[in-house]
Amino acid sequence: MSNVARRLRQLIIEPMPGLLFIAACIAGLEAMASAEWINPAFSPVPSLVGHWLWEILDSGAVLEPLAQTLGLLTAGYFLACGVGISLGLLMGYYRTAYVLFEPLLELLRPIPKPALLPPLMLVLGLGSAMKIAIVFLGALFPILINTIQAARAVDVVLVDVGRTFRSGPLRIIWRVVFPASLPMILSGMRVSLGLGLVLVVLAEMLTGAGGLGSRIVDLQRSFQAQEMYAWTVVLAGLGLILAFAFNWVERTVAFWSFRR
Amino acid sequence: MLVVVLLAAWELSVSTGTVRSDSWPALSSVLTALVHGATSESWVSMFGSTLYRMTFGFLLGTVLGIVVGVLFGVASYVNRVLMPTLEIFRTTPIPAIVPPLIFLLGVDDELKITIVALAAFFPVALNTLAGVRQVDPIHLQVAQTFRVPRLKAVLRIQLPSTLPYIFAGARISLGISLIVAVVTEMLAGSEGVGYFIVSMEYAMRANDMYAAIILLSVLGYVLNRLFVLLEAKYIRWARVLHLRLT
Amino acid sequence: MKTSAAPLSPGRRESDLLVIKGVSKTYGSAAQGVMAIRTVDLTVRAGEFMSIVGPSGCGKSTLLQIAAGLLPATVGEVQLGGTKITSPPEGMVCLFQQYSRSLFPWLTVEDNVQFAFDHHPSLDRGETEDRCLRYLEMVGLADFRRNYPWELSGGMQQRVAIARALAAEPRILLLDEPFSSVDALTRLELHGLIIDIWSRTGVTILLVTHDVDEAVFLSDRIALLTKRPSVLAKLFENKLPRPRDPVSSGEDPDFLSLRHELLSRVLDPR
Repeated sequence: MSNVARRLRQLIIEPMPGLLFIAACIAGLEAMASAEWINPAFSPVPSLVGHWLWEILDSGAVLEPLAQTLGLLTAGYFLACGVGISLGLLMGYYRTAYVLFEPLLELLRPIPKPALLPPLMLVLGLGSAMKIAIVFLGALFPILINTIQAARAVDVVLVDVGRTFRSGPLRIIWRVVFPASLPMILSGMRVSLGLGLVLVVLAEMLTGAGGLGSRIVDLQRSFQAQEMYAWTVVLAGLGLILAFAFNWVERTVAFWSFRR
Repeated sequence: MLVVVLLAAWELSVSTGTVRSDSWPALSSVLTALVHGATSESWVSMFGSTLYRMTFGFLLGTVLGIVVGVLFGVASYVNRVLMPTLEIFRTTPIPAIVPPLIFLLGVDDELKITIVALAAFFPVALNTLAGVRQVDPIHLQVAQTFRVPRLKAVLRIQLPSTLPYIFAGARISLGISLIVAVVTEMLAGSEGVGYFIVSMEYAMRANDMYAAIILLSVLGYVLNRLFVLLEAKYIRWARVLHLRLT
Repeated sequence: MKTSAAPLSPGRRESDLLVIKGVSKTYGSAAQGVMAIRTVDLTVRAGEFMSIVGPSGCGKSTLLQIAAGLLPATVGEVQLGGTKITSPPEGMVCLFQQYSRSLFPWLTVEDNVQFAFDHHPSLDRGETEDRCLRYLEMVGLADFRRNYPWELSGGMQQRVAIARALAAEPRILLLDEPFSSVDALTRLELHGLIIDIWSRTGVTILLVTHDVDEAVFLSDRIALLTKRPSVLAKLFENKLPRPRDPVSSGEDPDFLSLRHELLSRVLDPR
């Protein structure tokens, strides 16, 4: 089977039963709404939700909250990646760094990051800085922990290769330890992405200062159910797109770990 | 070592007046609030109610997760039909599901337990599925040769070797259950730890707030450790059972 | 061949490239540790092909790692060209036994070879490519330079490792049981390759192997170690004329007598 045919099969034919099921659920909901079995003041009515969704997307009203949520998430996330990976590599390679920071890490790790939202709100206020900070704190730990674990477990033969060609420690970390650890780092980054999204939306819901989270909460409080559901779909869509995008990144960057 | 230095610096920053802010309490006052709270009635009932919701949601989600995981693993067509729906729910951030569920379930315990169950469901379901899939097909063939009925084969061959996976998923779910219970209380609560922490933030009572967070973290850590012990005990049991059958 | 800058110590000849002096290795503490090597003195001359053989566990790989600067000796020292070795020195490359684990899976064959010299920034893009190609051609893998190591067979992977080692243009190559994990026929092919490279480039080779036939076929001199804790039992001169051929040399009486003596001493439980 040619490559194109195979990709087509993967993208369309294989998920077909699942997609049909979803379509059937939506149709079922719509039927229940027409038969007045469900209350449109609370339950989602597909046609109405669809109408609002179209409104949101067509008018461009989706852009501002989406950009804010996504922007804050990205900022905090990449900061966490930068700090987490660098510190993790150092801690994985140098015993002194590990011994120095590990107790602090073990102490901070069990603290549930959503619980840090109220303190952060006290210290940093309700704006962007606070949201970026919470995303950073939440995303940091999975990445850091995975990086440390991977760096410590790098095949000693690879490191010896670096040494026999007289690479200095920084070159070994950058060109041997880091690439060798990438598959595991990426798996930590995946967890962090999901966690970061949860935290930024949660922060927006608690502060009501812009972004998708606040929009949804506002609509919920003013009992505008159908419009709220439309925005929920947007948010769910964001989650789905991020997950797919990450899968693609993982397959591209750590291609060698998929070779079996 | 570093920890001690940082803690000392924290205490000093307040006692020497370097940092003077309502939101930055001294370590000593946080510890005082912690001891005070840990011994007070209201805190016990507060943590108790959160634990109650967490436990119910965790059990519900775990049982559902095991059932679905086994079902998906054994009946691959069910997997194909329902997996995309599951994927959509999995990638949606939990807070996004809260407002819709508030409409459908109100703001009482049903809401919170449902959300905890939803969150706990996924790690268990996915891990159980992976566990079922990795069962050595030779064992199943042996069962077929001896004409063991399907259900019995599933229960007595696949389940013991899947158990480690189920436990791993449940351990992750336990942590998630606790924190999701707290999050739902933050968003839609009138009591419980989450609600308390947010109220202390609004009231600017930082030392109570930090104390509650510390206690919450300790609780999470203890639950995790207890679960690991439980896991070790039952894995041993499962291994014995498995050996007896093969 | 570079001239040594250090003054010659008494008894050392100009052509002594690698000198192992009184090396001993003990793992763990002095009292409760395991002594792998009791004491070994060995000299490798420039341009020669020397093998180290011995029973399993006699510490020959350990000795090589110490010579490579990857492992410190407990007692004694190693000198390359008169200079003491404290870390992997300039002019020496070590080839590892687990060759498939020694190639970077995220780099192509070409990039793997390039790793050997690309931290010397004096070369430009064209020169770098030429150098990679030259050594890949020497091992017969020029056509595979854009493949990934995991797409190649075991024998091919070992050749990539050899090409990479050569690309650093070392004076001496240390080989740690490089052919023990390939099948017998591939091993013979690789023997031919290594002899070819050795005669073409004039590089000095120190090979550790448990295969006595291999040692006799390839080397000029063979060092036999005793079992652990090891010492140098005997240093053999291999008078077998070159060029050697895998089929006929194996029937030569000199080959057979050397092999006989080596093998019986390696297998001897003494």
